[in-house]
Amino acid sequence: MLFGLPYTNYVEYLAFLSVAGLTLLGGLGTIVARRVFPACLWLLVCLGGVAGLYALLAGHLLMAVQILVYAGAITVLIIFAVMLLQRHTGRIIMAENQHLIGGVLAAGFMATLILVGIFTTRYQPLAFGDTPATFAGDNVKLIGHLLLTKYLLPFEVVSVVLLASMIGALVLARQEPGENPGAAEAPEAESQP
Amino acid sequence: MSPVPLQAYLVVAGLLFAMGLFGVMTRRHAVAALLGIELMLNAANINLVAFSHYLSPNRAINTVLDGQVFVLMVIALAACEVAVGLAIILRLYRTMGVLNPDEASSMKW
Repeated sequence: MLFGLPYTNYVEYLAFLSVAGLTLLGGLGTIVARRVFPACLWLLVCLGGVAGLYALLAGHLLMAVQILVYAGAITVLIIFAVMLLQRHTGRIIMAENQHLIGGVLAAGFMATLILVGIFTTRYQPLAFGDTPATFAGDNVKLIGHLLLTKYLLPFEVVSVVLLASMIGALVLARQEPGENPGAAEAPEAESQP
Repeated sequence: MSPVPLQAYLVVAGLLFAMGLFGVMTRRHAVAALLGIELMLNAANINLVAFSHYLSPNRAINTVLDGQVFVLMVIALAACEVAVGLAIILRLYRTMGVLNPDEASSMKW
């Protein structure tokens, strides 16, 4: 006991503060980094922090999925695209911020609105305030069960959407026959057969 | 026993959302603007999990996990969105030679 609270609470608060700080630091780095590649790396930091928040909220499967899919697949996809664009342009692409005043005003207004909403809402005393539900260990099995019973239709629809977007991305990014990959900024380059 | 309050998670998610909005509005590079969209999606995901963890009615395990299933769906759709978005950016660059979203405002080509 320390100041009337059990030690586990201090551990929880400490863990929350560190992962929340990591999340916000990563988010800040993502939006202010001057080049795109470091911004992707800052996004990785932010996604790791969000995975920690999921773990604190008893979402162990979500933590794993977040790291596997978001950090492992989506960020790598973005980094591939950045490298492809750099190969096309032949220079490092800067990503400075523009319209700073408008951006700060809009984001500040949004943040104020959200914070006022959070602190003026009267949450129904359903479970808030007492111990949140904890059922470590059974999460994965229960989520799998939910996905195949209650959420079976959305689950299947998501897979169709994934297939459609994959085909769409292939069609969009395909190189047209006779199209020179660097034609946009170097028209005098020799054309490929 | 007083665990971390719900509002703490909501504040983190709100700040993350505002950051993502700033990134989308101010970035000069389309891929960097896409990173801002990812931040906003993650903020919404934090909110879904936090609300279902703290405020689920009747404490049945099935309803407590609803938010987590939603987040799984959102992550799958985020993967779709990134794939199509990057393909559009690549196509935009090849056709018009621009990467700044502001310069690609023409609806006719």
